[in-house]
Amino acid sequence: MPIYDISYTSLIFCFFLLAIPIFISRKIRLELEKSTMEAVFRMSIQLFFAGLFLNYIFNLNNGFLNLAWVGMMIFFASYTAIKSADLNVKKLFVPIILAIAFSNLAVLIYVNKFVINLENLLDARYLIPIAGMLLGNTLRGNVVGIGDFYNNIKRNENRYLYSLSLGAGMYEAALPYLRKSLKAAVKPTLANIASIGIVSLPGMMTGQILGGASPLVAIKYQITIMIAIYVSTILSATLSILASFRTAFDEYGLVNQDLYEKNL
Amino acid sequence: MSVESLNNELIKYENVGISFENRKVLSGFNLTVKKNQRILLRGKSGIGKTTLLKMLLGFTKPSEGTIYFRNQVIDSRTCWEARKEIAYVVQDTDLGEGKVKNLLNEIFSYRANKEELDHEKLRSFMRELELENNILEENFQELSGGEKQRIGILIALLLNRDIYLLDEVTSALDAKLKKKVADYFLAREDWTLLVISHDREWERDWMETIYLETRSWETSRTSP
Repeated sequence: MPIYDISYTSLIFCFFLLAIPIFISRKIRLELEKSTMEAVFRMSIQLFFAGLFLNYIFNLNNGFLNLAWVGMMIFFASYTAIKSADLNVKKLFVPIILAIAFSNLAVLIYVNKFVINLENLLDARYLIPIAGMLLGNTLRGNVVGIGDFYNNIKRNENRYLYSLSLGAGMYEAALPYLRKSLKAAVKPTLANIASIGIVSLPGMMTGQILGGASPLVAIKYQITIMIAIYVSTILSATLSILASFRTAFDEYGLVNQDLYEKNL
Repeated sequence: MSVESLNNELIKYENVGISFENRKVLSGFNLTVKKNQRILLRGKSGIGKTTLLKMLLGFTKPSEGTIYFRNQVIDSRTCWEARKEIAYVVQDTDLGEGKVKNLLNEIFSYRANKEELDHEKLRSFMRELELENNILEENFQELSGGEKQRIGILIALLLNRDIYLLDEVTSALDAKLKKKVADYFLAREDWTLLVISHDREWERDWMETIYLETRSWETSRTSP
């Protein structure tokens, strides 16, 4: 089965579709025209460069370079997660990147080693796309997880202080917020897992099938990736929040107010 | 000062000042609370009464002055001790989401609260506060303001501490309950109370009343 390439001219037809969201935005005054164009522009540029780089990296397939590429993805995922949660990047970057790197690399290496049984654990064709899928979901989970956690404490400051006054340690007082934000972080992933195959044919399966793989192979990969995503999402959200405690709370057990100041 | 009188000093505010957004609302506040003393704090709203109580627990820092608890300056270390010894009840108790029963159990699972929730005591305090038994199964968020307030008082009593900071704890109760709660607290001579309330039920002839005033309001105001 041949794979139909999309020519650059036919890609223009794809962009024509954007007339619909622009039209809706105009009519209902969503004021999303600018951000729509910006987002699509950014995506196109980023993907264009990613395509070039990946092409190069895949051809070279040097383990060290592949890992470095994943490292860069982790770096941007961490930055974007904090940024999107409207929190202080300077304060949180170190704990968050450590948490995201650890949880994603651990799950990634485990899957490559024990599930896919790769000879070369750092094979670009496996390492990079799977890392991308894990990180994309981890990112979303972390935005919700760490964002909800600190914003809920802020919104319910009196409730938080009250539990301290009842004798709670900092961790004990934070626990209800940890529970709530972690649930919110993984709920979409769980819903996604439960609806897969019926509601949606996930991107990776679609890709593999378009690439000529048998659907029976594709589903096995899909099951693997969904479980890997779930594990890395909950692990990284948990570790991110726990790791952020040291810089986010002061010795009085209160959240440092500058945590809510956006910077960088 | 004799050692004994020093030991009797539980709480001491020394030249404490409060500012909100660079505006001084209170300055040079001094107050010593001895063991078993019951004090009523009065003053118009916005003067920083609630803040004075919060400072004692290390929830806010004074813009000037020092606060002592058991002769120790309240700082990042000692505030944790104060939080374990002082029962703090607020006007709008907020326990969070979930069944009252579960929220109570969570509080008594804190390591600092070594004793388990005493169900016998719980029932008797609930009777005293005229709370129905089935309230334990209800969602805290769905309770009325008066019920929430009584749950706050209930928790303080269950914690079995003997220093109480009571911040408008009867504001949402009916007259009969206001009196009952105030009488209950004021009858305990072994307790130390620092009370903020606009309710007359807390007023007693023998009770020391502190009126808070903004001193030199105009001059102390820092211009932006």
